[in-house]
Amino acid sequence: MSSKTISQDLFGDKRIGFFIYLFVEVVMFSTLFATYIIYTPPQTGPHPGELFEWKTTILASIFLLSSSGTLLLSEKGLNNRNMKLVRAGIGLTFLLGAAFMYFEIEEFRKFIMEGHVISTNNFLSSYYVLVGLHASHVTFGLGWMIILFIQGRVLPFNLFKEKHKIFNYYWHFVDVIWVIILLVVYIPYLL
Amino acid sequence: MKKWFIFLLVPFLSGCSLRTLNPISETGADQAFLINLSFGLMMFVVAVVCVLFILFTVKYRETEKNKTDIPKHEEGNRTLEIIWTTLPILLLIGLAIPTIIYTFQVSNTDASSEEALHVNVVGEQWRWTFQYENGKETHDKLVLPVDQEVVFHLNSTDVIHSFWVPRLVGKRDAIPGKENKLKVTPNEVGTYQGKCAEYCGILHADMRFVMEVVPEKEFEEWLAKEQ
Amino acid sequence: MEFTFNGNLIIIPTDVIAGWLSALIGLPIVLYWITKKHYWSTIWDYATSTNHRKVGTLYILFSVLFFFRAGVDALLMRTQLITPENQFWVFQGEKYNELFTTHGTMMIFFVATPILIGLMNVAVPLQIGANDLAFPYLNLVGFYLFLTGGTIFFLAFFFNAAPNMGWTAYAPLSTDSFTVGPNNNFYIFGLQVSGLGTIFAAINMMTTIIRLRAPGLKLTRMPLFPWATLVTSFLILIAFPVLAIALLLLQFDRLYGATFFLGELGHPVYWQHLFWIFGHPEVYIIALPAFGIFSDIISNFSRKNVFGYTAMVASIALIGLLGLMVWAHHMFTVGLGPFSDTFFAVASMLIAVPTGIKVFNWLFTMRRGVISMKAPMLFALGFIPTFVMGGVTGVMLSSAAADMQFHDSYFVVAHFHYVIVGSTILASFAGIYYWYPIMIGKKLDDKLGKWHFWLFLIGFHMTFFLQHLAGLNGMPRRVYDYTYEDGIWTYNFISSIGAYLMGFSMLIFLWNVFKTHRNHKQAENDPWDGRTLEWSIPSPPPEHPFEKMPIINKRDMFWWSKINHEPIPTTENHRASPISKPTVQPMFLSAGLFILSFGFIYGWVWMQLLGGVMALSTFIIRAFYDERKSAYEKEEMENE
Ligand code: HEA
Ligand code: HEA
Ligand code: CUA
Ligand SMILES: [Cu+2]
Repeated sequence: MSSKTISQDLFGDKRIGFFIYLFVEVVMFSTLFATYIIYTPPQTGPHPGELFEWKTTILASIFLLSSSGTLLLSEKGLNNRNMKLVRAGIGLTFLLGAAFMYFEIEEFRKFIMEGHVISTNNFLSSYYVLVGLHASHVTFGLGWMIILFIQGRVLPFNLFKEKHKIFNYYWHFVDVIWVIILLVVYIPYLL
Repeated sequence: MKKWFIFLLVPFLSGCSLRTLNPISETGADQAFLINLSFGLMMFVVAVVCVLFILFTVKYRETEKNKTDIPKHEEGNRTLEIIWTTLPILLLIGLAIPTIIYTFQVSNTDASSEEALHVNVVGEQWRWTFQYENGKETHDKLVLPVDQEVVFHLNSTDVIHSFWVPRLVGKRDAIPGKENKLKVTPNEVGTYQGKCAEYCGILHADMRFVMEVVPEKEFEEWLAKEQ
Repeated sequence: MEFTFNGNLIIIPTDVIAGWLSALIGLPIVLYWITKKHYWSTIWDYATSTNHRKVGTLYILFSVLFFFRAGVDALLMRTQLITPENQFWVFQGEKYNELFTTHGTMMIFFVATPILIGLMNVAVPLQIGANDLAFPYLNLVGFYLFLTGGTIFFLAFFFNAAPNMGWTAYAPLSTDSFTVGPNNNFYIFGLQVSGLGTIFAAINMMTTIIRLRAPGLKLTRMPLFPWATLVTSFLILIAFPVLAIALLLLQFDRLYGATFFLGELGHPVYWQHLFWIFGHPEVYIIALPAFGIFSDIISNFSRKNVFGYTAMVASIALIGLLGLMVWAHHMFTVGLGPFSDTFFAVASMLIAVPTGIKVFNWLFTMRRGVISMKAPMLFALGFIPTFVMGGVTGVMLSSAAADMQFHDSYFVVAHFHYVIVGSTILASFAGIYYWYPIMIGKKLDDKLGKWHFWLFLIGFHMTFFLQHLAGLNGMPRRVYDYTYEDGIWTYNFISSIGAYLMGFSMLIFLWNVFKTHRNHKQAENDPWDGRTLEWSIPSPPPEHPFEKMPIINKRDMFWWSKINHEPIPTTENHRASPISKPTVQPMFLSAGLFILSFGFIYGWVWMQLLGGVMALSTFIIRAFYDERKSAYEKEEMENE
């Protein structure tokens, strides 16, 4: 009977579709990276080297990157239908992601308090747009995890599994973007 | 009425007197040559396509006789396909070579001769300002000596404009914060229309100017007269 | 008209008043008519259905409506330009600038792009033997995003705030230093919302073509319209995200005081790069599907297979690839330097080669065929010479030094109307006449179709042919006025008359649609003696026409099965079909985005919040009301 493969077929479609969507995100972020590179370092106003700090950058990165690890844990639970592990994984990932956001917001807050706002110079404009877009992706991911948590209780397992997998791709992707942000935005000016 | 007369006259004059095809400078003539050359090549292409098109549509249209025919299956034809791949490439090479030459020539604005005249052209919403080397400044009226090389230094104080005298030479943009140069030698005395070719706001259509090319002596006198 | 309200002087131009009046009079009439004819249930059915054929029909319907709006803009422009120093109504200066901006933007984003997506929706799944698009829900979302973006843009006029920076939105004119007020924010948000919809549509098409083909329908056996769709989707996936970011940066410039494109430190030219990295692929996004449609139609109405199929596919792909690498040919006068200029010039010229291959293959498809001159075929025949004329002027433009004369003159206007109207618009009409039986189950009148075609084509050449000469005689684009001495009166006069003729031909098209719907005659199955799979099913197709999947073992399978009198073999058990259920969620999402956009356009934060919350809550609703839930539950039960 064909209904056996419904979830497989439809999940296959969805995965491809989502990967294509991630490709769209890649193009968007590439454009922003290009923008950042064009306008940095700025001719006037604060230089990125004067603003960035090792401490926040490293802490934020540690939290975000390790959240990819905890999500793998959750995925493992998914494969042998261990819902406890799944939930624990999501919960941990959520906390780590939230910690990342804390540092992110701190950094923004600090810059703004020091008077370095969007309109200060083009380096800051492109910094805010790029890192801000990434941060909003993380925030969206946090909301998504809350939903995922509830979905685990109300959706048929295969559908939940599908949603979980899609979220995994998203979260890992957001992590990879962060790594590139580190390499392009922060590290060249911290060294 | 005189105005209606112009309406009737235009189609008769058009073929031979289109402004861009009657340039008054060497550079403009190069560009007109490119236009004519590409037009000729393209007419050949259009003619080939049209001949085949008419031939096939007339010959193979459905009639009472062939209504129920089933045409033979035809995958393709190697020879034909090679022909219509290489022939366009050859035509394009014919166009690309002069294009490259002339594009390098117009962009070569640095190597100007010693006595070249330098004019600062400033676009602003919605008028042109021309500044001469001796400090003389005019608005919406550009006066140039005949047969002398001029280098325009194009700038803008607000949005992007584009400096265009159709009979002199093709346009070049005046961009805020970026100086563009355009080098040209007008070689025919007369009065010519100049226009802003880049859309720049409400009065873009009215951002016109007049270019007068005058004999050397007259120019010197004009330049010396009241600042 | 001026009056004082609360002590403020308020000025409302008469064209806006006329717009409101006709809306206030027209809308009740339309609503009354719908009620009287009991159409509400049909409308609701279409508005909530995620079936590809219905979504596609909606796409086409609204694109045609927008075509009329943008066409009226064009007619107003042509009327203002009909004589030198003309003073037609209010359309001088600012108002004229608004006209060409809304005309160009609407035509490109809300007519050409969506109408082709609509035709893809209708035809592509059926041509590859799929029951629906891969993501029916996403499909409806995409449609609503297009409709919302279009509506936002459309409404600008009614608030006397139509965008006025040209469809290219060149900075720094487009920043808030030079164009104050909400006008150009309408552009940003209209395009941002609809652009997202276009991206979704592309994802959907691509997944469908990769995953949902009938068994045995290898890529090398696919008709050319799905092929064009595949490459087009790829171009969309590269071009539209770039536009999205460009608009985002512009939004930051306009609303939050950033200076990406402005002032001492910004780079105005960077906007042009971003815009054309999007904009040039965009013109192939609207041209390639047109090529696909014509390939199918020409082959069908010549009763012959496509000549040089492999070369056709290769050239689609090549045009797509090259199309990504030529954007700076719009910037030859910017002064990028001779290396860049010549590189982009030569790359642009190269595109003529694969395009030429296609043109000759179309011609040779007709050779030795039996050409039946039905309305769709007439449009295809009109396309070939028209498009070639536009294409060759494109090659003339790509000659960088010569383009210094052509650029921003009416020569360019003539070029792109020849290619766009020649390919996209003629293809849309051809596609509508051709696939009408699939969309609606009826056939448009062929005789009226021929009238429509001939008047449109003659009007078109009258309008745009002489514009080449006007351009060569020094007429810049985007001007509302010219003088007697310019010597371009005759060209403009004839051009305007031609535009009216085109408008008249569109009225014939309207009449045709109206007449067809009053007539209760249904189209027979396979009305054109078709070759591809979409004709193997009853018209209009049921929701899941391929319950039994056809097994394909050659190109034009349906045709051969008719010739050899052997039915297409089928299989029960290929793969699961996408699950399609009526839903109101996309409507809710687009309402949220609509409110959000207006919040941004006018800078009202509470409205941004409201709209944002509404839009985001759609994600939550969707998370728990997934249309696949019951199917998965059933599967689970059976597996226990
Ligand atoms: C459907 C849309 C479409 C298509 C298909 C094209 C096709 C082409 N376009 Fe066009 N173009 C536009 C839409 C399109 N264009 C628009 C909208 C603008 C203006 C935007 C604006 O500023 O507002 C524009 C502007 C534009 C410019 C910039 C002009 C300027 O502003 O200065 C240039 C310059 O190179 C150009 C070139 C070309 C070329 C080389 C092709 C080629 O792809 C054409 C190839 C086709 C053929 C050549 C015909 C068939 C071929 C043969 C029969 C084989 C033999 C031919 C030869 C040997 C030549 N176009
Ligand atoms: C899909 C793309 C597309 C299409 C189909 C068209 C179609 C037409 N265009 Fe357009 N055009 C553009 C895309 C397109 N255009 C773009 C991108 C620009 C550049 C904008 C810019 O510079 O920013 C432009 C610019 C442009 C200009 C230059 C303006 C300027 O630079 O100053 C002109 C001028 O003649 C023009 C004319 C027309 C005409 C007459 C049609 C005709 O084909 C239209 C035919 C349709 C109709 C006529 C509608 C029918 C309506 C009715 C039947 C209603 C009748 C009702 C009453 C009369 C009450 N267009
Ligand atoms: Cu200045 Cu147009
Ligand atoms: Cu282009």
